[in-house]
Amino acid sequence: MEIPSQEIHIKIDNPRSSSNKRKKTNLADAEPIVLMSVLSSLHAGYFRISLSLCSQALLWKIMVHSHTELPSMVYYLLWYLALTTQVSLCFLYAFKCVFLFDLVKEEFVHYIGVNYLYAPSISFFLLLQSAPMIDPHNVLYQTLFWIFAVPVLTLDTKLYGQWFTTEKRFLSIMANPASQVSVIANLVAARGAAEMGWKECALCLFSLGMVHYLVIFVTLYQRLPGGNNFPTTLRPVFFLFFAAPATASLAWNTICGTFDTIAKMLFFLSLFIFVSLVCRPNLLKKSIKRFNVAWWAYSFPLTFLALDSVQYAQEVNDHVASILMFIISSISVLIFLGVMLLTAANSKRLLRRDPVLWSATGPKDK
Amino acid sequence: MDQKTNYAIQVEEELPSLLRKATTEEMVGFDNYKDSAQPSPHIISRFHPSHNSTPTLNGQEASSTSIDSMEGHHNYNETPPWTHQRKPSISMPTSPNILMISDPTTSSSSENNTKGGSTGKSVKFLSQPITKVSSLYIETGKGDDDRRRSNDNHHHHQHQQHQSGRQHQDHIPATHKLKDNRYNSFKTWSGKLERQFTRKPASIEPETPKRNNPNINTNEAMPVDRYYDALEGPELETLRPQEEIVLPNDKKWPFLLRYPISTFGMCLGVSSQAIMWKTLATAEPTKFLHIPLWINQGLWFISVALILTIATIYLLKIILYFEAVRREYYHPIRINFFFAPFISLLFLALGVPPSIITDLPHYLWYLLMFPFICLELKIYGQWMSGGQRRLSRVANPTNHLSVVGNFVGALLGASMGLREGPIFFYAVGMAHYLVLFVTLYQRLPTNETLPKDLHPVFFLFVAAPSVASMAWAKITGSFDYGSKVCYFIAIFLYFSLAVRINFFRGIKFSLSWWAYTFPMTGAAIATIRYATIVRSTMTQIMCVVLCAIATLVVFALLVTTIIHAFVLRELFPNDLAIAISNRPRPKQNSHHRWLDQLRNVSSENIENYLKFTDSDSSHSNDLEACNVKIQESDSA
Repeated sequence: MEIPSQEIHIKIDNPRSSSNKRKKTNLADAEPIVLMSVLSSLHAGYFRISLSLCSQALLWKIMVHSHTELPSMVYYLLWYLALTTQVSLCFLYAFKCVFLFDLVKEEFVHYIGVNYLYAPSISFFLLLQSAPMIDPHNVLYQTLFWIFAVPVLTLDTKLYGQWFTTEKRFLSIMANPASQVSVIANLVAARGAAEMGWKECALCLFSLGMVHYLVIFVTLYQRLPGGNNFPTTLRPVFFLFFAAPATASLAWNTICGTFDTIAKMLFFLSLFIFVSLVCRPNLLKKSIKRFNVAWWAYSFPLTFLALDSVQYAQEVNDHVASILMFIISSISVLIFLGVMLLTAANSKRLLRRDPVLWSATGPKDK
Repeated sequence: MDQKTNYAIQVEEELPSLLRKATTEEMVGFDNYKDSAQPSPHIISRFHPSHNSTPTLNGQEASSTSIDSMEGHHNYNETPPWTHQRKPSISMPTSPNILMISDPTTSSSSENNTKGGSTGKSVKFLSQPITKVSSLYIETGKGDDDRRRSNDNHHHHQHQQHQSGRQHQDHIPATHKLKDNRYNSFKTWSGKLERQFTRKPASIEPETPKRNNPNINTNEAMPVDRYYDALEGPELETLRPQEEIVLPNDKKWPFLLRYPISTFGMCLGVSSQAIMWKTLATAEPTKFLHIPLWINQGLWFISVALILTIATIYLLKIILYFEAVRREYYHPIRINFFFAPFISLLFLALGVPPSIITDLPHYLWYLLMFPFICLELKIYGQWMSGGQRRLSRVANPTNHLSVVGNFVGALLGASMGLREGPIFFYAVGMAHYLVLFVTLYQRLPTNETLPKDLHPVFFLFVAAPSVASMAWAKITGSFDYGSKVCYFIAIFLYFSLAVRINFFRGIKFSLSWWAYTFPMTGAAIATIRYATIVRSTMTQIMCVVLCAIATLVVFALLVTTIIHAFVLRELFPNDLAIAISNRPRPKQNSHHRWLDQLRNVSSENIENYLKFTDSDSSHSNDLEACNVKIQESDSA
């Protein structure tokens, strides 16, 4: 919301988050301030956009390869769009790290925000895997893979270690649906490694992801009381519940080479959770009131599920599977387009809104 | 004073109905209002629209049909005239369906009426002399539990005026009238005016309106905390001492009301026996026993007959006593038994004698699994997202029943030759079994339903892994590592429970014990399958021993059941678990405090009281909190 004109001057170097909320001024030399306000309202959750774009690009790549009647122009367009979005977001975020490092630190400490620090890496992995011109076996791919894997691994060590050692950050307190993003990061990395042909590395990453997925899955399903409260605006993040098994299924498919029983089971689990979420509109109703960047969280889990269904249909060549693939892919594309249009329509709100995507309060017993 | 007390009483959700009752009664004899033919249709028309505006509870048509059937059934023969009473009506935060007051004096209460409906008519007699009410209150406070309980409000979207009117005629004669009406709260269509119930004098109990609000509203389920507060025991069937129930405990209730869903456990037990005897007769390791196939046939036909009988009776219960079924559905343990009929059907399909049919058609599998998927989506979704029914709160060993169905379905599908469907159910079952297993093993402190000492329900732990191992073997075609791992887990759990057999003594028998026999049978069948692969004397001995144990247990259970049914005649005791009241009996001190307040009530107090009611709260101490707030505001 626009704040009345005689607003306080914001000291840019004041790291207090409360000051973020009052960044709007209408001074004449507003440009650097506009940039600063953009930077300050940017947070890792915005990488959901690039996540969705990159996963859509991957979906189109796979679909175009298997169904040649689809226009491959869409795929190239998507990929370049995803590339530009990702690069620009990364630059912006890098600027933020340079100029507003304290805000980044705050994000890192926040129990929901820290998970989205994986998002840039996931997007890069997806970009790499969906790239039209890079062959998985050449050196460039491998170097890029390692460049992107390093942040994932470091974050893993930090985050997963905290789960059972640091008392303030125990999993039972910190677990929230966004924690599955870390799992997805590991699984996507596993898929990338498997595409390169590095089976052991892929298996290592896969098992890392799956073990922690098991723990998170059980903890989240239990819904322990005394856990943190998850803001309603972030309800779209519940879609991550089925994104994780779908990604696991994809990774296993690439590791094994075929869509075998385990991959099928993970795919079915993901499908079941998706249907059960869709059957509960009340869960998501509250969050659909106002547009915010969390709506992008609807898009990429569906894309992962669609990817999975494409692989499944390729393996099991019967009508039910093909129909399923068709339905899920269309839903995914439609939602992607829908969210993109909504973003374009609400672009002002997107860039200027304050990061209220997570409540200022942390876990209850912090 | 009358006016004031009127208002005061009306603060209670119950009160309005009580008042109504009182007024209708009083007016006849006590007040100077004469009976006059009041246009009862007038009231009816007022009420019914408001009733119809009530959203159906979870889409239960029975409720709505009952509402509809109510239309036009109201004859308030005995109800005294309210129409000419000029008492102001007050909106009560009670079941909005029932009363909505349009009193100018207490405007705050009007917001409380969530469901519209101008039942100003109903309010009218609210303004009847309360003194009688208060005396009633005191009187009932002395422990006229019977009347209190019987007229407690359950089916709130029905009108109880007439009921209250009738029941209040006399305190004493009212009791025998209640006999007919006491069960009406549970009846789906209770004839004419017996619309559920009514607010009895018990309604004057100091209940917090805000507590009653969500509870009386039949559109909402009884919160799961209520079940935990009121019941105890490993199967949540024993009433806690300070709780009271809404149906009379001294009489034997109608048979259907006493018929719990856990009787389907019998179907589970018997049909799994049929499968076991079929496997014994046809499998390799036990061929040396020369078991004839007619045992399987006999058992199978018995199971079919049993399932048909039990299902018919339960269907009757659904039709006639829908409220009781609803309460069973919201009971945290009984909900799992809703899976039992479908699991029994799956068992029937698995145990069908080879002489009848060898190849079952594929559509049968889809047909059998469809209700499963629907029920599962609901229950598992609740685990994941439901606030009060989340898994850490409601996890109990009986939840295994909801998970085992997946594996049984997978087993059946795989033996019918299907590929994808069984894998689907196996995956879903495995994922949720994992979560359930971890939660139960953790024995979280927030989880109250795990029995502190052992109980046959623990045998359900054995069910899922044993069936999972068989299902995996059928899916992959051979009893490989995955199946063996599951099988060994099942056997370990079995033995760790069997050696603690001493701890199972002294537990009250109940029909749900039949459900706990099928894990033993399942383990026996899994052993036979295992012995088919790993052939040795040891495994064969294990087969025989486990089958013998299973048969003996079932036989013993059969004998016990027969004894309870015919000798002791208490196979179906009064099902207290479904008759718990919506509100806990208030503590004594708050009881008196409220009473004092009642006496010194003023309109400001009412306003204050209404102001402080909080319909979102689900604490059991709401009343006290309210009182405290009111007193604070008074003193302020």
